Amino acid sequence: MRNTPPESPVLSISDRLPGGASGDPLVRLFESMRPDLLRFAQWLARDRGIAEDIVQESLLRAWRSREALKDPSAARPWLLTIVRREHARLYERKRLELVPLEDVAETQASPRLADPDSELFALRHAIMKLPIEYREPLVLQVIGGFTTEEIARELELSSTAVLTRLFRARNKLRVSCGMAAAPDATEAGEPA
Amino acid sequence: MNCEQARLLIGAEPGASPAALQEHLRDCQACSAFREEMLSLESRIGRALQEPPERVARPAPARRALPAWREWALAASIVLACGAVLTTWVFHSSDSLARDVVAHVNHEPDSWLSERHVDAAGLAAALAGGGVALELTSDKIMYAQSCFFHGHYVPHLVLQTSQGPATVLLLRHEKVTARRAFQENGMTGVIVPAQGGGGIAVLERSRGDVDLVAQQMQQDVRWLPGNY
Repeated sequence: MRNTPPESPVLSISDRLPGGASGDPLVRLFESMRPDLLRFAQWLARDRGIAEDIVQESLLRAWRSREALKDPSAARPWLLTIVRREHARLYERKRLELVPLEDVAETQASPRLADPDSELFALRHAIMKLPIEYREPLVLQVIGGFTTEEIARELELSSTAVLTRLFRARNKLRVSCGMAAAPDATEAGEPA
Repeated sequence: MNCEQARLLIGAEPGASPAALQEHLRDCQACSAFREEMLSLESRIGRALQEPPERVARPAPARRALPAWREWALAASIVLACGAVLTTWVFHSSDSLARDVVAHVNHEPDSWLSERHVDAAGLAAALAGGGVALELTSDKIMYAQSCFFHGHYVPHLVLQTSQGPATVLLLRHEKVTARRAFQENGMTGVIVPAQGGGGIAVLERSRGDVDLVAQQMQQDVRWLPGNY
């Protein structure tokens, strides 16, 4: 995996569009959302360079299918969906996930961290280590603002499966913050 | 709604408060307490996700601005960069760890150029994410970052040696059973086993003695207990 220096410039999609398109209000709208899309993509891909590539391709795809965006005020969730699908395509092609799925219950609870910065650091670390099937719905929900039903449609899962994955994601994060894992009654039911 | 259903909903959507859940919480102290915990956690999750994950350690000292590089860091042996730099691999394609180490270091070219020592707090932050203790004073360290590599945070350090800067990656989660050396475009490198498992990668751009630095690191590096 690679880390891109924070100063690295990212080309605007207007550089890759036909002349005249760069001034289009829709292009400006898309570009204004780039930082948010990049943050979303980074939490999915866990790599800034790959996330930049995903966002760049997503914005170009969005431009090519701009007719599908009926309401500019819905641009953000629409673009986030495109980014998610671009990441999923890349993930399927490249099998980027390298971290194996970990057990839900930690054998040793993490110590409580008194320093808030340390705690936030540990939590971010724990989120990064979540397997993609838990991290993706969590990021869609918290960053993307998607409802359970919207996440279910997007991931082609049942709403119950999405609830289960979100529950298990947060349960892992509970443990990383030094709390006891909540009983997971879903283990006996529908697999998530 | 029973406690199992309430916990599932609270764990999945902490902020949700449908009528059935509210009614359950009125009579169930345990679930009410669980909801309070999850709301507090949710607030922290929201703060955690507000920033991108790439930098979780303290930022390195100000460094000289350089043109940015871009390359595909995949398992294949082809590298694509905006500056159209061609990289030649000398080691066997099966040595993917060495290749990934070099790709990572190439992606942070300014790490070699820092001219100020990292302070103790910056070093501690770089080491903390990887669960590493280092018996080395920070006045020898010119660059320290906690970098995401192969699914884990690893300390990426640049040490000042008598023969120039040496890059060190502390790879707690890699399986390294024997020393392996490699060379790439003037960079000399070695990956050695660490005490207690894992590995240590050392690279230099001068023709310095990477093994000397690697041996020092083997003595000075200790993995902290815990799940990192």
